[in-house]
Amino acid sequence: MKRKILAAILSVAMTASLLSGCGSSSASSGADSAGSQAAGADTSAGSTASGEGVEEIQWMFWDDLEATEDLISKGYKDVIDRFNKDYEGKYHVTPITTNLEEYYAKLNALVAAGNTPDVFIVSPGPNLTDYVEPGVAAPLDDYLAADGWKDTFTSDAVFSQMTYDGKIYAVPLNTAAACCFYNTEMFAAAGVEVPKTWDEMLSACAKLKEAGYTPISISAGTAWCLSMVAGYLCEAEGVDLAAIADGSDSWTNGKLEKAAEKIVELSQYFQPTAAGDTNDVATANFYNGEAAMLIQGSWAIAQINGSNPDFESKCGVFQFPGVDRIIAKSDSLAMSSTTKHPEACAALMKYFTDDTAQKYTAEVGGKIPVTKVEYDADKAPAQLAYVMDVFKNAKGTFGFYNESMPSTEAGSHFDDTLVSVFLGDMTPADAAQDMEDFYASNCR
Amino acid sequence: MDKLLRNKKAIIIFMAPAFLLFTFVLFIPICQSVYYSFCEYKGITAPVFIGLDNYKAMLKDKPLGFALKNSLFFLIFSCVTQLLMGLLLAGLLTNIDKGRNTFKNIIYLPCVLSSAALGLLWMFIFSPKLGINQLLQQFGLEGPLWLMDTSGYIILPMWVIAFVALWQYVGQSMMLYMAQISGISKALYEASYIDGCNKSQSFRYITIPLIRPMVATAMSLNAIGSLKFFDLIFNMTEGGPNHRTEVLATHLYQQGFKYFKYGYASAIGVILLVMCLVVTAFINKVVKTENYEM
Repeated sequence: MKRKILAAILSVAMTASLLSGCGSSSASSGADSAGSQAAGADTSAGSTASGEGVEEIQWMFWDDLEATEDLISKGYKDVIDRFNKDYEGKYHVTPITTNLEEYYAKLNALVAAGNTPDVFIVSPGPNLTDYVEPGVAAPLDDYLAADGWKDTFTSDAVFSQMTYDGKIYAVPLNTAAACCFYNTEMFAAAGVEVPKTWDEMLSACAKLKEAGYTPISISAGTAWCLSMVAGYLCEAEGVDLAAIADGSDSWTNGKLEKAAEKIVELSQYFQPTAAGDTNDVATANFYNGEAAMLIQGSWAIAQINGSNPDFESKCGVFQFPGVDRIIAKSDSLAMSSTTKHPEACAALMKYFTDDTAQKYTAEVGGKIPVTKVEYDADKAPAQLAYVMDVFKNAKGTFGFYNESMPSTEAGSHFDDTLVSVFLGDMTPADAAQDMEDFYASNCR
Repeated sequence: MDKLLRNKKAIIIFMAPAFLLFTFVLFIPICQSVYYSFCEYKGITAPVFIGLDNYKAMLKDKPLGFALKNSLFFLIFSCVTQLLMGLLLAGLLTNIDKGRNTFKNIIYLPCVLSSAALGLLWMFIFSPKLGINQLLQQFGLEGPLWLMDTSGYIILPMWVIAFVALWQYVGQSMMLYMAQISGISKALYEASYIDGCNKSQSFRYITIPLIRPMVATAMSLNAIGSLKFFDLIFNMTEGGPNHRTEVLATHLYQQGFKYFKYGYASAIGVILLVMCLVVTAFINKVVKTENYEM
């Protein structure tokens, strides 16, 4: 009997510990992770002891500044070091870093615990909305207006995705466009021209395959990589996201179905391990010369050139065939509305958009700067010039599909649905119906 | 000592730490979770009471369906396999003379390792570019997509993860059974051999009846462990592709920490709690225990 009681108590305790680990105790777990994160970050920042009167702030970012090969992340590290050096004795910033996959989960835990990092990186769209609507992010207009900071940006249009009710809630750092990167040697060897239309794309893939190359490296293991291509295909079919969101149009109008059919059609040219490969693996396939094309955001330039510098000379870029507009996205920084040191935060954000940082963005990182900085085009990665050409020739830009939907969950659902189509788990028609059902019960 | 324990003040002092810990770390958060499960709660703004809406939303939640199915699959799979494998290993190890401790340690080892690290390790082993599939390729075979295949009622990744979980936790069941078996008096076995029993018969007629209480305990632990199973799945598939390998705990995590739906996540937590209690009660009812003199 005693044993039975013991067993019962044990079981209850175990179930209880499960529950307490979830919903309501987020405060404590968030605080814990904040503590350990800060401790970890401290060492990475060289642990400058914050003396008396130093305003200490935290900056949260989605890559490990020490271990990273990504040139853009390395540039951010330079900014942090520069800031801490220049403002020594006045301000000090400590980076909190996570990997990209867990970034929002950790940030949300910190926010829920009331420990919002003073400055944090965020993608525009529903991700930013998540922080603007409940008042977690602070409006930045006053800081932007001071000292002519706002005038240094290329145009007011760079803020359009970060503006809510006329107020700006985030500062963009750089812009990237989703393009098709290709291996010029493989294209030449297979006698393939850069495709301009969807049919040309398919025949180019067929030719590359005949010549013994894997035409496209893509990741379905990281769902958004596949859905980025789906975004372009939906654009080509004329999907109107805003109309679908407000209910005046529907996912089942046949356009998504057609786009999904094209994904299936294209998937015969993916590398055989596409279903399980992660984003990093798919990108590595490309710069290691195992595939002829990579459809990816131009942030991949920093990753490609950082990991395999020899690849730069044989990497070309073209616009996704069959569409007029391109998918563009900016990394941006938001400020916590509860920060005790808004001046320090603004000073840090300015460091990210000053000439030194923006020059680095273009010349080393290969991303498009957001300010009017003059950079040396010869120094910049060759791919950046191609991306700039793509940008110039495009008739406009649109956001990533999964970041242009009413909620982050809707975006993830779109990604997942397209992966299901690719895996053959869902027919294109089912996928359209599934999206429609999801919107009907969650978004309208 | 007896005198001390009759002193009410002493009782209170001894009880206080555990009582306070239990109340503040477990009991109050559980009550809060139950309350939040009736609220729309985004974590950042104050919770708003919405009655049973979260529970109604569950009926339409497709991933929750997968999660329930997978959790139940895990429950049954782990209860059955852990019982059989645990007993088998315990029976074998108590009957060998040499190397008992070595094998015991080897089998128990995965239990003490971090399941997050093991999850990553197994993810590499089953990933298409490394591990098993590369090995199969050497023999000209094409391995399946271990963690991405979606055909069948219980999809392949679930079997893979269930196998890894069995590998990881079978040591624990084995240890529990071994502890119980080594508590059985040798005299009983000797008597059975005199009566003409062979080893398997003595296992069937002496060992099994005498370890029934431990079967109930081990099974309850297994059942609860498999219902709240999280880390291996999160590290191996993150619930993907398209939620097909989701279990209740990963779905809860996603809803709560990825999409800010703490109210809904709490409702899933409540369902999980109820399931754990029901299953434990059921196991304790079914596996009837009688205490024998040992």
